[in-house]
Amino acid sequence: MSKHISSLAPSVVVDTAAAHVAVTPMTGRISLRARGDLAAIGKAIGVSLPTQIGICAKTDGIEVVCLGPDEWTLLVPLDQIEKVQGALATLAPSLPHSMTEITGREITFQIEGPHAADLMSIGCPRDISTIKVGQARRTLFDGATVVLWRDAETSFRMDVWNSFAPFLASTLETGAKELAAELA
Amino acid sequence: MSKHRLRGRGRVDASQPVVFTFDGKPYTGLKGDTVASALLAHGVHLMGRSFKYHRPRGAIAAGSEEPNALIGTRRGPGRFEPNTRATVQEIWDGLETNSQNKFPSLKWDVGAVNDAAYMLFSAGFYYKTFMWPRSFWDKVYEPFIRAAAGLGVSPSEEDPDTYASRYLYCDLLIVGAGPAGIAAAREAAGKGLSVVLVDENSEMGGTLLSEPQSKIDGKSAWTWLEDELAALKEAGVKLMTRTTAIGYYHENMIGMVEKLTDHLPTLPADTPRERMWRVRAKQVVLAQGALEKPLVFHGNDRPGVMLAGSAQTYLHRYGVKVGESPVVVTSHDSAWYAAFDLQAAGAYVQAIVDTRPQVRQDLQAEARTRGIPVKLGHTVTATGGRLRINTVRVNPLNGTHVGNGQWIKCDALLMSGGWTPSLHLFSHTKGSLIWDDDLTTFLPKDTPEDCIITGASRGLWGVEAALKDGSVRVGEALSKLGVEATVSDYTVADDRVGTGVTMRELPTDRSAGKAKAFVDFQNDVTAKDLRLAVREGMRSIEHVKRYTTNGMATDQGKMSNINGLNIAADALGKKQPQVGLTTFRPPYTPTTFGAFAGYHRGDHFEVVRKTQIDGWAEENAAVFEPVGQWRRARYFPKAGETMDQAVARECAATRASVGIFDASTLGKIEVVGPDAAEFVNRMYTNPFMKLAPGKCRYGLLLGDDGYIRDDGVIARISDERFHVTTTTGGAARVLTMMEDYLQTEWPDLNVWLTSTTEQWSTVAVNGPNAAKLLQPFVKDFALTEDNFPHMSCVEVEVAGYPARLWRVSFTGEIGFEINVPAPYGRALWETLWDAGQAYDITAYGTETMHVLRAEKGYIIVGQDTDGTVTPYDAGMGWAVGTKKADFVGMRGLKRPDLVAKNRKQLVGLVTEDQSCLEEGAQIVLDPNQPIPMKMVGHVTSSYHQGTTDHPIALALVEGGHSKMGETVYIPMPDRTIAAKVTGTVFVDPENARLKI
Repeated sequence: MSKHISSLAPSVVVDTAAAHVAVTPMTGRISLRARGDLAAIGKAIGVSLPTQIGICAKTDGIEVVCLGPDEWTLLVPLDQIEKVQGALATLAPSLPHSMTEITGREITFQIEGPHAADLMSIGCPRDISTIKVGQARRTLFDGATVVLWRDAETSFRMDVWNSFAPFLASTLETGAKELAAELA
Repeated sequence: MSKHRLRGRGRVDASQPVVFTFDGKPYTGLKGDTVASALLAHGVHLMGRSFKYHRPRGAIAAGSEEPNALIGTRRGPGRFEPNTRATVQEIWDGLETNSQNKFPSLKWDVGAVNDAAYMLFSAGFYYKTFMWPRSFWDKVYEPFIRAAAGLGVSPSEEDPDTYASRYLYCDLLIVGAGPAGIAAAREAAGKGLSVVLVDENSEMGGTLLSEPQSKIDGKSAWTWLEDELAALKEAGVKLMTRTTAIGYYHENMIGMVEKLTDHLPTLPADTPRERMWRVRAKQVVLAQGALEKPLVFHGNDRPGVMLAGSAQTYLHRYGVKVGESPVVVTSHDSAWYAAFDLQAAGAYVQAIVDTRPQVRQDLQAEARTRGIPVKLGHTVTATGGRLRINTVRVNPLNGTHVGNGQWIKCDALLMSGGWTPSLHLFSHTKGSLIWDDDLTTFLPKDTPEDCIITGASRGLWGVEAALKDGSVRVGEALSKLGVEATVSDYTVADDRVGTGVTMRELPTDRSAGKAKAFVDFQNDVTAKDLRLAVREGMRSIEHVKRYTTNGMATDQGKMSNINGLNIAADALGKKQPQVGLTTFRPPYTPTTFGAFAGYHRGDHFEVVRKTQIDGWAEENAAVFEPVGQWRRARYFPKAGETMDQAVARECAATRASVGIFDASTLGKIEVVGPDAAEFVNRMYTNPFMKLAPGKCRYGLLLGDDGYIRDDGVIARISDERFHVTTTTGGAARVLTMMEDYLQTEWPDLNVWLTSTTEQWSTVAVNGPNAAKLLQPFVKDFALTEDNFPHMSCVEVEVAGYPARLWRVSFTGEIGFEINVPAPYGRALWETLWDAGQAYDITAYGTETMHVLRAEKGYIIVGQDTDGTVTPYDAGMGWAVGTKKADFVGMRGLKRPDLVAKNRKQLVGLVTEDQSCLEEGAQIVLDPNQPIPMKMVGHVTSSYHQGTTDHPIALALVEGGHSKMGETVYIPMPDRTIAAKVTGTVFVDPENARLKI
């Protein structure tokens, strides 16, 4: 448990024949809460906001996932955060909303490999097969709340609050080795 | 070849001998053997001693239902497991096994004296024997019972194995891979469904493994099995062996334990010993088969007495003849085939004893052909032999009259009392059962789960019936899954169908009161114990069970429940359903703690949260403590320092110059929206509407009841944005409470909450030199008293990082909290640390933080409050906005008991003898009053490492605020301590030290 993980120092957590897990570099993140004229918000930030929970949208480097009836997480390149903030700010008077930067809150694990989905099943009580490629879910992994993005059949991203990262890295490491041992 | 092994028989591999030890003696078995089959191949029946009477016992069964043959297994240091069933444990080269419950040896055991004194150990003997004298309970009885109780020896070393867990979703889960389960799988396979077939055994096949004579659709049973399993695998069915479905939970969740390494001679790397599967299946098929019932007669537990069906299994699956001259005693047709098969394998069956006066002609003819003597309408009344049966007493039955006994020599006695459908998992579903008078057993009726039960577990008998039933019954599940239900037809030749009758205790010509006729072998419960329980007033089977412990052993009554019920019902003169069946509970078979713990053991026991600065603390020899899920640096000892010394040094250094503290764990909630101020104002007791941007205010959060729930400093970042802090442990709770109010009480407010606890790393610097240390790193902003007074905040660049800089103090010194985006926390810390060397900067932990705040009388919610303390009790009436229209807890504060006089109030305590009080110690006003004394409060915080010249304490005392200067008393085990009631501020009451 002497692991320490920082998005400033991306590193490989584990690499086996079953799965490869790495910490990704820091990216900009914004938690957006709003109701009302969502189209106007979409227009301002350049990505229309999906309205079904778990559905994602992506344009020009900005990725958005709907996490609740009035909640979205935006992934924004670091150098575009101010632009997005500014665009949202102009809407504020007529369209009440909350925009909070959470760039520093999260650490992302990139999980890839032939058994990436199986690796998710060691800690996530959801049916992984119901997360379609291009979708995301706020769910649990080994006792911690995570947002799990499925980028391909065998590729996931797992966003987790940074304090949980060392514990989850240890779970992922154990699991990736265990799955690799099954292949042997 | 060992003596009783039949060359070329069974599914064991004759080309692969395996050497293991039992009680230190090496034995050679074959790959595929269990410990039991390998020992039986050597003629070893004696495998253990019983629980209560220490009677010699052998394997009575061949599967997981075994109650007797419980052994210890060892694989080097730490890898010891007691109570493993010898009938399940597979052998491998080097496996060490030991018998249990014996001293000094299995063959000569001192504890067997209990057997001679059995009259003392009747049902309920604990309750009767150990009731008086009362004073004997603690010193004599309980230690004795604890020492005598239990089978085997608990492992004493840490288990070096690892355990795993996994979730699994599937369309169809089939439990049990006998004929019915396989037939069900066949109909489901290849239809685009995810299908899982599990079996607890090392091989699939169930009864087919023990009945190779049957021919299915023209193929021999084993060829059919091999082809069928290959086809299932080809069709994508997930086949799992050594996997036990241990429990059936709500909404079709099934717990399964897969044993991965217990059968392997060497342990593969990175492989857990067991894996718990948490399965969510849309549909479940239960095909767990049936378990054979023992017959109940005097001496039915002697080694060599075995279930007839299990003898068949040993013969056909393992190629082991369990006896050369066996006798068969039965009330069911099935055991006749055991006699025939053993005879065919070269044994000399001495007799088939059947309690029924009439038996099928073809069976009798077959026995005649084979030259086996047949005794119809006979009973067994005794067995002889010390550590192995060598004779059995057989008597003719004439109605209820039992004729004279005749002793028949034998080396094994194979019994069958018929078969009981295995309804354990079905019962877990809260499925209802229906009594079947013809079969004298319960059968499954309805279940609230999406679950189908098939084959022998619903009372069907024979391979063909099971195959057809599995094929048909799974159709219902397939239809629900939206695929076409198909049915395959099966023709089975040489199928062994049969019937029988159910017996209670076998009739005897001897005293039933002296008979040791066992019903529950593992808990040593006899038929007379059950009848005694009824005589002594037990009416429900639940009471009979608890009084006698029948069915309460680790085998969950697999063999004993139905016999116990039949006997109890007879004793009560009622029908079985009126007496009831005890509830089966998970797990189906004994399950290791490791399987339940999974990955959560050792340093992965529980979620541990670490700040981004934790690594620095670890490198600098911090001692950590858990605070909720967080681990926090408690103190930073220098070489040779105790905690008290380190804390005293950290306290003094912070008040003398500057201390640095990781406050990142503080809960943080960003409250944003046009109604942000209104929301914060309604939640907290303090007024917030007029708090200007750039200012901070302390906030007190109450529950509806008016009691303090949480506190923290709240900063107004802008008109519509607040940065709220909570206690470390309260972060999630406070956010939930706020969301609750927002969503249910005030959905009209335009405000949103976002947890930002982990967005920020928070570095606190405190001390007279704090501003001097920090100033050079703050860009274009002066840290002066005028420009940045106490309780201010500003968004500014600190050491090159975007920061929310606060001027607050939890120590009474000049204090700053620098919030930077979390990943920069450590770099900021190190920058300040390096620069702070000029000021002898000291890192301090939570312990010093506690002391310094107590010296200023700042409360810690949850330590100085306990959910029954109001702001007024805590001396914090100043924090309550009396002019506010409303806030959470406002009405609660007006309740009569909350405004009553003499409530417990927070005060300071200073001891007269300079001793440090114990936190939690009770307080009295008059130490000379008679015991029990009236307690008027307790010590909530107490420290002696601080910067005052005497220890300090905070305490809740009845009417404390009006007792200033009075003396109260704290009785301790060795003396009574006198303490003076004081205010709660011990350092700098004028707050002069807060000024820059």
